[in-house]
Parts: sequence; structure tokens; C-alpha cells
Amino acid sequence: MNGDIVAAAKMIGAGIAMIGALGGGIGVGLSVQGAVQGMARNPDTYGNLLSSMILGIAFSEAIAIYCLVIAFLMLFVV
Amino acid sequence: MENKRKWRWGKHRWILLLLIILSVIGVNLIAPVQPHIQVAAENLSEKPLFTLPVVGDFYLTNTLTAMLLMDIVIILVALGVRRAAKKNELAPGGVGSVFEMLVEMLYNLTENTAGKYAAKIFPWFATILIVVLFANLLKILPGFETIGFLHPSEHGYATQALGGGWFTLKNTPASDGYVLAPFLRGVSTDLNFTTALALIAVFMIQVIGVQANGARYFEKFINVRTIFKKPLFGVIDFIVGLLELISEFAKILSFTFRLFGNMFAGMVLLAVVGVMLPVFMPSFIMLFELFVGVIQAFVFGMLTMVFMAQATITHNAEAEH
Repeated sequence: MNGDIVAAAKMIGAGIAMIGALGGGIGVGLSVQGAVQGMARNPDTYGNLLSSMILGIAFSEAIAIYCLVIAFLMLFVV
Repeated sequence: MENKRKWRWGKHRWILLLLIILSVIGVNLIAPVQPHIQVAAENLSEKPLFTLPVVGDFYLTNTLTAMLLMDIVIILVALGVRRAAKKNELAPGGVGSVFEMLVEMLYNLTENTAGKYAAKIFPWFATILIVVLFANLLKILPGFETIGFLHPSEHGYATQALGGGWFTLKNTPASDGYVLAPFLRGVSTDLNFTTALALIAVFMIQVIGVQANGARYFEKFINVRTIFKKPLFGVIDFIVGLLELISEFAKILSFTFRLFGNMFAGMVLLAVVGVMLPVFMPSFIMLFELFVGVIQAFVFGMLTMVFMAQATITHNAEAEH
């Protein structure tokens, strides 16, 4: 019984931890939106914008990845 | 167009169809098993290889064997590139041309960002990128994370003999069953590897900053220059410097967990999808994972390069006015 409650709490905790991925998703969307608008207005800057965009995506994606790591730690380690 | 391409039935599509049919039959014969997922790398050796006094025991883990394999592959590729470059210096062929293209692209990128320090920064950028790239792409090898030793476990599965001392897991949970500890597991799914790379990258960022700016580099962190001249803004500058110091440590964490999180999430996703939809989906997930691996290798190297370029910038000029 006690172990079941702990197991259920692990699952719920992992689910709650992944709420943080919301912010990462919004951030990735915003950065891609800005870069694509820039590319559409000035196609010559494609290469520059692409590398900056990937860099920005990596930064904001890292936040979501932290949440994922916490969720994994809850599911498989603790 | 003289040599017009003759229409013929390609044979690859039949191979693909055959593989799909075989996978349907195979899935019905031996149902896929949800693998045992753990964050730490599995031990392959029962006893520790050697023991250090303070640090502890060292086991032969499956990420270690994968890393040795990765090292061998990188060395072989390097030898191939060297031979291609020796044979034809202007236009190396084969694997040499691919790497010429890659290195040229990376060097142009470095030069655009770092300017005159490009020659100093480029080796770190390219090395980290190529190591992480090979580490992530190595999992297209068949048998990666699927062939290995069977360890007895409480949450294991029943086994079925295949002959010749080989066994496969059946999808029937058994309390005296076995779980799989694969021979090879993705190198980036081990926290030790990513932490080591992150420590090397952040340490070398500081070294390159010191090489570019001398001891004044550390004024970025402990900024007491303006504290006596302009008391209020001087204190703010000092606090901003401390925040810079914290962000250096945050870099280690973000480097580590970005790579580890992405690759480990890919491994878990592949395992879970492989159980739920075992026929088509794993191929697509695998393709996506390879893409993610390439992107993560690029991001890891690119961030190292950008941080190194930032560390070479002197802050004195803009602080004077």
C-alpha cells in the first residue's frame, strides 16, 4: 500500500514537472517566428539567421530539457 | 540527353517491403519487451576493474565500451582523411572531401564569430562537435542497446532459448526473470561523458579568456574598478560581476543536461514506441533521433565557440566612457 502511494506520487510528480516544458515550447516558437519573418523579408540573411535561430532554440529548449531530466529522475531513479 | 535512363523496377522497394513483412511476422512471433530503463550506465563486469582509494570502484560499463568503439571509428576516419589528403592535396576524394567541406564550413563560422581568435578557438569547436557527432550517430549500428547480457531481476521477463547459448526475452513478466544490460549504449546517455565535456569546454573558455585579456579577464567577475569612483553604480557593477560568476557555473549545468537530456529522452522514446507500435514507428523515431543528435552536436560545439568568442572580448573599452 505504502509503495503504491509512492509509485503514484512519482508518476504525478513527473507529470507536474513536465509543465515547465510549456515555457520552452513558447520560447522555441517565438524564436523561430522571429527568424522566419526575418528570412522572409531578407532572404540573403538565411545562413546567419539559421545559426542564430538554432542557438536560440537550444537555449530555450534547455529549460524544457531540465524539466524532462527531472521527470526522468523521478520515474527511474528516485 | 543521350543516355536516357531506362525504366526498371528498382529492387530496393522490394527489400523494404520484405523487411516490413518480416517485421510484422517477427513482432507476432516474439512480442517486443519494454526494456529496463535506468539513468546510470549498466555494469558489464561483475567485479570492479580497479579501485581508487577516494573515488571508489570502476566497473566496465556499457557506455564505456561504446565510447571505445566511437574512439576507434574516429581514429579510422581520421586515418582515412589523412590518406586522402596525402594522395591528392588539392581535392581529397572520398571521406576526405566530406571532412574538407565540414571543416571549411566550421572554420568560416568560427571566423565570422570570433575574428582574429578563430585559429585558437577552432580546434576546440571542431573537436567537440566531431566527438559528439560520432557519439550520437553511432547508434545507427544494428544491435546497439538491444544485444547484451541478461541479468536476473525481480521485475524481469521470462526468457526463451534461441540456440547456441543465446536467449531472447518474452513479454511475460516473471519474478525470477531477467533484464537486459546491453553491450553498447549511446555514449551521450551517460552523465559522466556529458559532464566531462562540459567541464572541458567551460575550463577552456576561461583559459582562452585569460590568453586574450590577461589577468584583467577576471575583472569581469570581481569588478571593483568603479566601486570607489561611483559608489552607487560601482556596487551595481560588482553585483553584476558576481552574477557573471554564477552564470559560468550555470554553463556547466546547461551543457551537461542539454546533451544528456536530449539523448536520454530519445532512448526512452525509442524504447517506449518500440513496444507500443513496433512495426513502422521506430524507424521514424530513429530518423528523428539521428536529426536531434546532429543538431545537439552542432549546438554543443557552437555554444562552446560563441562563449569562447565572448570571453575574448575586452570590457575595458566600453567601461571607460
